[in-house]
Amino acid sequence: MRYTITSLLLAGSILVPASFVAFAASAQEATFVMPTVDVGAPSYDPIRGSKLNAATTLIYDRMVIQDADQSFHGQLATEWSSTEDGMSWTFKLRPGVTFHDGEPFNAATIAWWVPKFAGTENEFMTSAIASVEAVDDLTVKFTMKNPDPNLLSNMASSFMGIPSPKAYDAAGDSYGITTAVGSGPFKLESFTVGQETVLVANEAYAWASDLSVNQGPPLIKKLTIREIAEDSTAFLELSTGGVDMLMSVPTDFLPRLEAAENVTVGQLPGTGIFYMPINTSVTPFDDIKVREAAALAINQKEILENIFGGIGAEAHNFLIGSLLESKVDPALNISYNPDRANMLLDEAGWVMGSDGVRAKDGVALQVALWTQNGTEFKRVTEVIQAELKAVGIGADITIFDSATINDQYRKGTEHQLAVRNYSWANSDIIDWFFSGQRLGYPNVSMWNDPKAEALNAVAMKESRTWEERVANFTAYHEYVLSQFVFAPIYEPVQVYAYDNKITVPETIRGTRLQSQTIVDIAVN
Amino acid sequence: MTSFFIKRLLLLIPVFLAVSMVIFAIVHLVPGDPIDNLLSVNSSPEQKAELVARYGLDKPLWQQYAIWLGKAVQGDLGDAIILKRPVADLIAMNLPHSLALGGFALIFSTVVGIAAGAFSAINKNGWIDRITMTMILLGSTVPSFWLGLLMIMLFAVQLGWFPVSGARSWDALVLPVLTIGLGGVALVARVTRVAMIETERRDFVMMLHAKGVPPRQIALRHVLRHALQPVITILSLRIGWILGGAVTVEFVFARPGLGSLLITALNQRDYPVVQGSLLMLAIAVMLGTLLGDVLQAVMDPRVRERIT
Amino acid sequence: MVALTALRTAVGSPRGAIPAGILVFIVACAVFAPIIAPYAYDIQNLPGSNEAPNAAHWMGTDEFGRDLMSRIIYGARTSLSVAVTAISISVVAGMTLGAMAGYFGGAFDRAVTAVVDLTWSFPEILIALILIAIIGPGLQGTMIAISIAYLAQFTRLTRAQIMALKNETYVEATANLGAGNFHIIFRHLLPNAITPVIVAGMLATGDAIILEATLGFFGLGAQPPTPSWGAMMSSGTAQIFIAPWIIIFPGLAIAITVISINLFGDALIEALDIRNRLRSV
Repeated sequence: MRYTITSLLLAGSILVPASFVAFAASAQEATFVMPTVDVGAPSYDPIRGSKLNAATTLIYDRMVIQDADQSFHGQLATEWSSTEDGMSWTFKLRPGVTFHDGEPFNAATIAWWVPKFAGTENEFMTSAIASVEAVDDLTVKFTMKNPDPNLLSNMASSFMGIPSPKAYDAAGDSYGITTAVGSGPFKLESFTVGQETVLVANEAYAWASDLSVNQGPPLIKKLTIREIAEDSTAFLELSTGGVDMLMSVPTDFLPRLEAAENVTVGQLPGTGIFYMPINTSVTPFDDIKVREAAALAINQKEILENIFGGIGAEAHNFLIGSLLESKVDPALNISYNPDRANMLLDEAGWVMGSDGVRAKDGVALQVALWTQNGTEFKRVTEVIQAELKAVGIGADITIFDSATINDQYRKGTEHQLAVRNYSWANSDIIDWFFSGQRLGYPNVSMWNDPKAEALNAVAMKESRTWEERVANFTAYHEYVLSQFVFAPIYEPVQVYAYDNKITVPETIRGTRLQSQTIVDIAVN
Repeated sequence: MTSFFIKRLLLLIPVFLAVSMVIFAIVHLVPGDPIDNLLSVNSSPEQKAELVARYGLDKPLWQQYAIWLGKAVQGDLGDAIILKRPVADLIAMNLPHSLALGGFALIFSTVVGIAAGAFSAINKNGWIDRITMTMILLGSTVPSFWLGLLMIMLFAVQLGWFPVSGARSWDALVLPVLTIGLGGVALVARVTRVAMIETERRDFVMMLHAKGVPPRQIALRHVLRHALQPVITILSLRIGWILGGAVTVEFVFARPGLGSLLITALNQRDYPVVQGSLLMLAIAVMLGTLLGDVLQAVMDPRVRERIT
Repeated sequence: MVALTALRTAVGSPRGAIPAGILVFIVACAVFAPIIAPYAYDIQNLPGSNEAPNAAHWMGTDEFGRDLMSRIIYGARTSLSVAVTAISISVVAGMTLGAMAGYFGGAFDRAVTAVVDLTWSFPEILIALILIAIIGPGLQGTMIAISIAYLAQFTRLTRAQIMALKNETYVEATANLGAGNFHIIFRHLLPNAITPVIVAGMLATGDAIILEATLGFFGLGAQPPTPSWGAMMSSGTAQIFIAPWIIIFPGLAIAITVISINLFGDALIEALDIRNRLRSV
């Protein structure tokens, strides 16, 4: 009898997967897919890092967590209070907390931690704190240089997750890549940038905030979080059971996922904006007319309806709709107006050429348009390229890997336009992206304007109460809008989807899918 | 025989040196300061100084090459900019996956290709022959990434038999191996078929027929053995082709491996990783070709003579 | 001339006529794209994106509402011009190098052979990737990468031809009559060696089209909005469920073009009876 090799191979290839099905994982393991905007985060160093991903809050605990109703809930801090004038804060710390390396968490940790921000890009989060005093083992007192109504809000961000001082100092520059030690519900087992993060449950965990039902170690014992830049691959992985949850769902596939029987889809309000920074330091965008024309060429409605399936909202300024500071003077909001764009370019001396691209003094209005890889970025960028062409601005697209694009911005002035996004639910994001102190990245617009700096100083440092802060930041926001240093595009909502292999709490606590919810997720 | 092997091995050395020179030069040919191409932008002056000292970046070019090569031979390929790990570690993690993929694809192409080619040669001009030749034509003209995508659409998504991507289980190898292998099958089958048809015409075969040996036995035991020789030749020449196919397929199937490592590093402009993976791939191609040559020499004494 | 008769034979037979016809049609599309294509290739129409093939758009629309058929026609222009230009450069350079190496022999020959052997066993995709790493993505880089990747093939082939021919009696006679070396090479040897190289070039063009498509698939070739069959398939993978035609039609275009090239090349080889001369080891 003669069996051809082919038939043997075919038989073998059917037997092998069959045997794997028999060994179906009964362990409490799950695989999630990172939100696409987090892909490429280069490290888990919250103090020095400028881009962190969704797994950060699983490794590190924060002092407080903010809930969707704006209230703050204690995590590593149990109580807090400030004096009337805001010049002094006192925090009571949770007892019995240890880091993954066994080191204790106490007032000494905070005394080590706050000064560490000096000299880093995240310095603004602690710059208002003049000194830290360890009153006793579990009480710290901050003496402030100036009142900071934003202190708690900063402390709720993943950038203020607290690492173990011992591990942090020992690892030096490679901290956050090969090791990351916090006190969070999960320990870092391995991290491959741009690929995946493998976490294991911290069995000693007993200090979840009151936002979590489960007050002990997480129910998932091994959690792999994969980074997938291509939407269709992520969708395929969820549909074929390769992963259990997509932390962000590409809008293209939302209808199919909603229709699928074994998949549940949930939504959270958005926390960020897609926008196009305009490099103000190079021609032609040093001319405000050209900047305004570029900004007015973008058709937010078409993008929302056709690229994002109508899910989310149009963006007309730099802040998300839920923030009070986004309610600027309506005349300053930036919307689609191609007629005015064409008029401005004509005024600026750019004459329309026969190939559809304008020119002036023999130089064509051809600009560099950068973006990072990822289905949504590439698509929005190509649409914007066409919209710019419609008013006579030619754009050449260059796509960079998401792990390196921020470095590319830092390198120099070669970019003129870019398509990017941010994820931050506080108006001080305006300072982050437009302060003259941070040219290159994050200030991709390379903008350094004296009036803006003055408004910035007032908003960041001289607001004594929350209401004053809102007013000051609204003024700063309005000035930024009037100078057309960026163009708003789209405000996404957070959509997530998971299959019936895991059980997710009905209500997601907090503003994002973070540790407070993930400790409650069980594997069926 | 040993002297042949040693001579061939020695011939590899100048080739290796030449290739390494080209790979070394990449960092200097790319626009920008070589130091910026080896470190991340945020690096402190101390880190930059340390790198300059380590690789002699302030010395003349040929000295830098010597230092780099010396370290490479000892296994120190530098550190990745993004992943901040030694490049050698990254390669060690990814190499086994590429070897598995390439190895199985090679076996698949050889076995199925020879079988298909032999089949069509025996049934020359019959309908099986025509179908096989058509499939072969298709297999060599379809770009491997399209074939890979079609495989994913059909087998992984519609039928759900195999995983869509990654290398998490053994069955994740099937579709990638098929994608590379089918292209190789085309080549091997074509060569086998031609070789067998030509061998058929030879005198000794006519004699076997005259002796009354059953045609099946003649075909499989005598003709095939002689026909194998050009097949081995072609395979040894095209080992590089299999590796090339692996690069694309690893990308399409999101499998870890030297190919994915290289393409990701290219996109990230992580030049130490680019150089390390290119060097490894070059060595793999050269060793593969050497292996093919040795096999040829084993089978055909004339080849041994030719080289000496 | 032998070549023209062979061409006529090749086109005359059905095996050669059909691929030849298809190729002529494809080249016509590339050359006359602005006239043939019903729409411009970069006009977006977002509300009409991802439409299945219909009366207004025979091949449907892509994710930006652009007419797919027009993009495929213009894509022929990109793919063919890149492949043909690159291979032409490669053929000319390869023939020059190979002829000189084969004729003069000696150290020059050994040097050229060493370099050629170096690149011969390397997969073209790797060579292309290295070159693109240095030059940067885009059409220019792709063209240079492809011409260098195939250089070895033509150098080798020409060298083998020249070495076989240079010992012919008529060459010796011409030399005795006082002809200079370059006269002999370019007026006598090369014209006889040219035929297999041209045919090999044709077949290599098919491979080059696939290589350009692969580089486009990686995002390293033509940049948006310039259509390229490979890049269209790459962005089409995101629409695999909603609009599979975005992947299928460009793939078919590549397959049909390359198969036609291979079939016609085979017919030519038969007509010219040069199968032996194409084995250039």
